[in-house]
Amino acid sequence: MEQPFSLTSEVRDRALVIATSGYVNNVGGEAIAAEFTRHHAEGIRSVVINLGGSKVVNSVGMSFLIEIIERLQESGGKLYFTDLDPAVEKMLSIMGLFQFAGKASTVEGALHELAASGGVP
Amino acid sequence: MSDAVTMKMTLPKIPDIELVALEGLDRLARHLGIADGKIAEARIIVTEAIINALEHSGAEAPDVAVEFTMTTGELSIFVRDRGRGFVPGAVEEPDIRSKIGAPNKRGWGLRLMKSMSDDFRITSDGGGTTITIRKLLR
Repeated sequence: MEQPFSLTSEVRDRALVIATSGYVNNVGGEAIAAEFTRHHAEGIRSVVINLGGSKVVNSVGMSFLIEIIERLQESGGKLYFTDLDPAVEKMLSIMGLFQFAGKASTVEGALHELAASGGVP
Repeated sequence: MSDAVTMKMTLPKIPDIELVALEGLDRLARHLGIADGKIAEARIIVTEAIINALEHSGAEAPDVAVEFTMTTGELSIFVRDRGRGFVPGAVEEPDIRSKIGAPNKRGWGLRLMKSMSDDFRITSDGGGTTITIRKLLR
């Protein structure tokens, strides 16, 4: 059975990198948003969310990520998703999240994209 | 559907109970030798169907009935609640552009179920809502 949600975070190249594990439900989504909020208040404007450890997500959890996109738009920041399971990637695509967020195969790839686009202030 | 296996369950309204249904789904798939990747989208559909049903099931009849019938080629999903029901056609289609900046960022369940399934049917009235989904396991 899918494990309970947990996350780790670190700041790399002035970008917040959040890696999730387990089921991203409302509790998981809220935890991601809270972690983002803490770093956003300190000036972080580039965010990478690695969902590779989460094979099961739901739309309630994902709706919290829209809030992150919204706040990054307001502050001139950028969000990347990485390590997506194909089904999760399709889900985010249906929700339209890739109109406002990027995706990369790996965290390193996302950090490279952010640096290349000047997205890491 | 020859060699079909069926699983029926009644889920109480407790947090993350949808994971029990997903465990059952995984067991059926393993029994039939279906690769994990082929049911990945089905997991999302089932999750959305159950959390949607639990949310609308109401306090008087909070249980949700779930049934899977799986063959090596397809999965049928049946989810029923006994809530007050709603008018499916009156549900506003979610749009990411309107969700950004709006206080309510939820409401994606029906869109996801429709988009990820091969056949989606919903009936709803004052006695509850029934969702029937067919998903090819390609």
